Amino acid sequence: MYCITGKPPELPTSLEISGLKYLTFDNLYVVVKNVEEEEFSEINFKKNLSDIPWVELNARQHVEVICQIMESNTVVPFKFGTIYHTEDGLKKFISDYSNALIENLKQVEGKEEWAVKVYCDRKALSLQIDELSADAAALEKQIMASSPGKAFILKRKKDELVKNEMDRICKIYGQQYFDDFKALSQKYVLNNLLPNEHTGREDTMILNAAFLMCKVKVGDMKMKIQTLKKSDEKSGFNIENTGPWPPFSFIEINEKK
Amino acid sequence: MYDNVVDSSRDMTLLEVLDRVLNKGVILVGDLVISVADIDLVYVGVKLMLSSVETMEQLKDGKTPAEVKRIAGTSDEF
Repeated sequence: MYCITGKPPELPTSLEISGLKYLTFDNLYVVVKNVEEEEFSEINFKKNLSDIPWVELNARQHVEVICQIMESNTVVPFKFGTIYHTEDGLKKFISDYSNALIENLKQVEGKEEWAVKVYCDRKALSLQIDELSADAAALEKQIMASSPGKAFILKRKKDELVKNEMDRICKIYGQQYFDDFKALSQKYVLNNLLPNEHTGREDTMILNAAFLMCKVKVGDMKMKIQTLKKSDEKSGFNIENTGPWPPFSFIEINEKK
Repeated sequence: MYDNVVDSSRDMTLLEVLDRVLNKGVILVGDLVISVADIDLVYVGVKLMLSSVETMEQLKDGKTPAEVKRIAGTSDEF
C-alpha cells in the first residue's frame, strides 16, 4: 500500500513498476500493488530488510510512486511495508479510519513537507570567530599586544574560549534558522541531530527539522535559503534542503484500541 | 536540472528516504503482515555505511539488487 487520496489518482506511468492500481472505498482512493510472498511474507520481508540494495530500491520506489501521485493530488502516505493479506482487510482499515483519513487529507491539502538540515563547518567558523564573538576579538587584541610568553598563555586560553563560543554561536544560528523557517510554515517537526557517521559529512549537524509548507510559501522558503547561504556560508554554515516530500512527518492517525 | 541549487527535489539521500518511509507515515493497523515501525534506524544507518558508493552506482546502472549483491560479495549476515 502506497498512499490514500481523496480524488482519483493519476498513476505514474514513467516508473518501471508493474501492477500499480487504485482501489476505491467510501470516496477514498488507495494506491496499491499486489506483492509476492517470496519477497513480502513476514519472514522474507524481514530477511530482505537486511539487504541494503533491496531496501534502497524498494524504499526509493515507494517514495517515488507517492511523489508522482502527489504532483496532481493530496496524499496521505503510508510506510513502506504496509501490507494487507486481502482487499477485505484493507477495506476494513479504510472504513474504520475513514474520518481520520479524511481529516488528515484536509490538513495537508495544498501543503508540502520540506526537510531542512543545517550543518556547521567548525573549522570555517573558527576562522571567522573574531568577527562573530566580541570576547574572542578582545582576547585576540590582548594577545597581539602581549609579550611572547604571555601571548602563549593567552592563546591557550583563547582556544578554550573559541570552543565555547562556537558552541554558543551554533545554538544561536540553529535557533535563528529554525525560527525563520517556522515563521514560513504551518507545522514543524524537530528530528534528532544525526552524528557524522550517519550523515557521511565532516561538518556538524546543528538543525534537523521538517516543515509543512503551504505550496505558495515554498518560493519564499527558497529565497530565504539563498539569502542565508550567501550571508552565512563564509562562517561555515551550510543549509541542506530537500523536498517536496509526501507529508510523512505530519500525518496523525491514532490507532483504535 | 533543478530551478536552483536548493531545489534538489529528487536528490534525496537514502538515509532521508528511509527515515521517512520506515520511521514516519501512518501508524500501521489492521490486517497487516508486518509492521516495520520497530526497525532500529541506527542499525539500518550503520549498514548504510557498509553499502558502498559503488553499490549505489551499480543500482543506478540498472543492475538488480541480486546482481549487485553478487558483485559486491555481500552476505545476509552483515
